Formats: sequence, C-alpha cells, structure tokens
Amino acid sequence: MWLPLLGLILGVAFGLLSDIQIPQVYSNYLSIAILAALDSLFGGVRASLQQVYDDKIFITGFFFNIVLAIGLAFLGVHLGLDLYLAAIFAFGVRLFQNIAIIRRILLANWTEKSKNPEANSGNERK
Amino acid sequence: MRRQLKFTAVLLIIGFLVAVQYNTIQKPEERDTRDMWAIRNDLSSEKKLHSELLSEIRSLDETIRTYESLSAENTGSALKETVDKLHDEMGMTDKIGPGIIIEVEPSPESIALGADIEQITPDLLTRFVNELNRVKWSALEIDGKRYTTLSSIRDINGFTTVNGLNVSSPPFTIKVVTDTIEDGEKVYNTLHASTIHDDFYLDNLILKISEPKEQIEVKGWKEEIHNLQLKELRKGE
Repeated sequence: MWLPLLGLILGVAFGLLSDIQIPQVYSNYLSIAILAALDSLFGGVRASLQQVYDDKIFITGFFFNIVLAIGLAFLGVHLGLDLYLAAIFAFGVRLFQNIAIIRRILLANWTEKSKNPEANSGNERK
Repeated sequence: MRRQLKFTAVLLIIGFLVAVQYNTIQKPEERDTRDMWAIRNDLSSEKKLHSELLSEIRSLDETIRTYESLSAENTGSALKETVDKLHDEMGMTDKIGPGIIIEVEPSPESIALGADIEQITPDLLTRFVNELNRVKWSALEIDGKRYTTLSSIRDINGFTTVNGLNVSSPPFTIKVVTDTIEDGEKVYNTLHASTIHDDFYLDNLILKISEPKEQIEVKGWKEEIHNLQLKELRKGE
C-alpha cells in the first residue's frame, strides 16, 4: 500500500524539482496521456481487487493506452477533427466505471469485515 | 510484491507527468511582446557585440601567431609585449593622440550674480562620462586623473573624486583622446549636439569644447589596481 504512494510522491517531487516544461502546444497531448495513464491505473486496481489481475495486460495497457491517446489526438489535429474528445470520452467513462466498481468492492469488503470481526481476526491468527 | 512494484513504477510515471503538466500550466513561457523596432534594436546591439567579439578574436589570433612565430628564447619579449598591451588597455600608460580638450567653467551669469562656485557633482560627472560613451574614445582624463573602466566617480566626505582623488573646483579641464581625428570630430559633434550643456548650466557651469586637435597627451594611471574578485593563489597550496 505504501510503496505505490511513495512512488507517486517521488514522481511528483522529481517532476516539480526538475522544473521541466514542455511547449504549450504539446500540453494537450500530455493531459490526454495523463488521463490514459490514470485509466490504466484504476483498471489495474480494479482487476487486482477482482482477482483477475495480469502483469502483462496491466503494463502493456498502460503504455499502449498512452501512445494510442496521443496518437489519436495527433491525428485529430492533422485531420482538423477533435479526435482527442473521443479519447477523453472513452477514458473518462471507463475511469468513472472503474472507480465505481472499486468503491463497491471496497465497500463490500468493509461491510463484511465489520459484520463478523471474529472470523477475520481468527483468520489473521492463523 | 511484484504487483506492488509495478504499481509503484506506474504511479511514479503518472506523478512525473502530472508534475510536468503542472509546471507547464503554472509557469507559461513569457510571451514576446516586442514590436518590430524593439527587435531591430536588439538585433543591432547584438550585431555590434558580434563585430566587437570578432575583432577581439582577431587580435587574440594575432597574439597567438606572434607567440608561435617567435622562437623559444623570444617568448619573453612576446609576453612583455602582451603585458604592455594590457597595461595600455587598462590606462596605465601615457597616451598621445588626436582628441579634444573640454574646459569646465563657471557660467558667466553665476559670476555676474556673484554665486558661490561649487564643485561639480558626481552625478553630473557620471552623466557626462555616459554621454561621452555614446561615441568611441580611447582615453579620458578628468582634471589630471585618468579615467578607466575600473575608475570610480563618487562623493567622498562631500568632495567629488575620481579614483579617490579630489576634482578641483571649476575651472578644470577634461581631455579626451581618440584613435583617429575623425573619431575626435565625432566626439566634438556629439558633445555639441547633446543636452548635457543644459545639465551643466543648471549647476551654474558651462562646457567649452575645443576643436579637435592633432596631438593631446593624457597621463597614465600609476596607482596599482586592486582586483577584489580574483586573488592570487599562493604557491604550494
């Protein structure tokens, strides 16, 4: 639990301290990439909670989604079509669905735990 | 554990991306709002700098060539030549050349009214030097004190000083030596056309600028120059 959080903090600190800036023109692409990355992340969390997590799918999905989103936005710019909206829509909807599923699973786990704490503590003792 | 590591790596990347995006949004690059003429001005000053640097490179190349062409036993004299040249540039040697002589005198009105003759203020003298810097000159002497790039004009205990030496009350002379007589004419014309006369007149002073002369001599600055930034490294350290 703590290790991923540490990773996040390290990443933010590194980004802020290195003071890297990208040209304004590309900031749209970066925001779509961030959205895609977040989508993959929450997809991964959901999968691991549903016990269907697969390393390869998670990692390839993460990079592939980012590249696909940026590619789509790039193509849209050159076609004069706001294709990045498609990416935002798709990732946005999936993000909300994934977060909703995660919330439900966590809520179910929590209610189960609070219903029979003895069974849980008994399990832990084992 | 492996799963956690993967999540850590992914979160690291996401954090980095978010921070970069934050940087970009928060600190946008400053927009260039200069107009055509401002850019042209900048360009011309850069070009001037460019040509100055080129001429400097050329002179340094010449020095290198002198070093190379001289045989080993003559290196000493080449070094001495360089030192002499540097001394000359620093204004430590006497200089003779074409130039103009400027007399700073109390204005006739102030004499007629019997006003006290006061020393020139450091501000006015600095303004004068700045005005002079619009054109090319090679040596400047203010009331017998050589003015170099390291010189200071300031107020010490109520007295205006150049290089720490008092400037006498008007009248006194300022000598400007230039490389060529044409440069001397340019200095002459610039000073004649400038508004510095008005500034002097406000302080009850007038400038009498002589026609450019063929030969003027200014004395070198004999004081040792103290460099406060660079210190000699002691041997053995």
